[in-house]
Amino acid sequence: MPVACLSVSLMAQDRDQTKTAASNSALQATAVLGFEGISNNATGDLSIQGDALVFQPKEGKAARIPVGSIQNAFLSQTDKQTGGTPMAVTRAAIPFGGGRVIGAFAHKKYDFLTFEYLDSNGGFHGAICQLNQGQGQVFGKELEAKGVHFSVAREATPTKSGPEAKNEDK
Amino acid sequence: MKISKKAALAAITAATFITQFALAPPVLAGADQPPVARWTVQVAQVGAANDVNVEPAFRIAIYENLLQELVKRKQFSAVLRSGDRDADGVPSLLMLKTVVEAYTPGSETKRAITTVAGATKLRVRSQLCTRDGQVVLERFVEGNVRLFGGNLRATHILARNVANAIEQSPLPDPAPSVRKP
Repeated sequence: MPVACLSVSLMAQDRDQTKTAASNSALQATAVLGFEGISNNATGDLSIQGDALVFQPKEGKAARIPVGSIQNAFLSQTDKQTGGTPMAVTRAAIPFGGGRVIGAFAHKKYDFLTFEYLDSNGGFHGAICQLNQGQGQVFGKELEAKGVHFSVAREATPTKSGPEAKNEDK
Repeated sequence: MKISKKAALAAITAATFITQFALAPPVLAGADQPPVARWTVQVAQVGAANDVNVEPAFRIAIYENLLQELVKRKQFSAVLRSGDRDADGVPSLLMLKTVVEAYTPGSETKRAITTVAGATKLRVRSQLCTRDGQVVLERFVEGNVRLFGGNLRATHILARNVANAIEQSPLPDPAPSVRKP
């Protein structure tokens, strides 16, 4: 009886560990652009499965990028308004500057992971996905462990305009 | 009642004849001409001028949006990615080079609060070059987000403007040797 109890508890522990590992590797993400066969701004799960980076949208086929083909991965952070278009319309409709007050609070910081990779024909691709704050660093480190060059993008600074010539033919 | 029916029938017959005779000559003339060869375009990776620090996400978004817009327009016989080995065998190939000349990072939150501040601004130099490096088209194009949308929307607007500029510009014919018989 004690042996049976022990084996049951061990099996339960194994199941728990498997579950934890799976939930750690798959992150909720938004495919902003660049994933083959996935529409822009589709939401789904981003994970590393074996030797491939996989984005599984909520509906439809997953996009797979072989980790070996990824040349660079960059992490950047951006502040975004929450609520999407409905919220933007609502903010615009509120009179007496009420929408601006809401705008001051309805924002959230997101991590953006940018991948540069090559397809089987040598063609250069780029893909961007949006993750919750803090998850980008974790995922980037996982990629780095697999041999991908990972770096945190520098904060961009404004630049002066270039030459004033516009629409000139050659 | 009978007369009106006859009149309608005569009108329809007349309209059919007019349409046939009016439209037939140009259509036939077009059929006689050989199909015009079109360029193939290869989109190069987006670069930045020396003093411009552009986030990698913006460079990639410009590149991918350019590819999408050019494919959508169907102006070129094919749109190839940078480094694509299929480009080696294409005789009528143009290379689209894009360099970010100016970049002002914006803030969606600032835009939502103030309306006037926080615009994301991009300005690029776009060049279409032949294999031998001859520039056939050069444009300075801008893409800005001033009110609604995320910062990366500027790259979509910019790509659309670049594709518009290319579409509206006359390109030289590909070399006669590549014309289809």
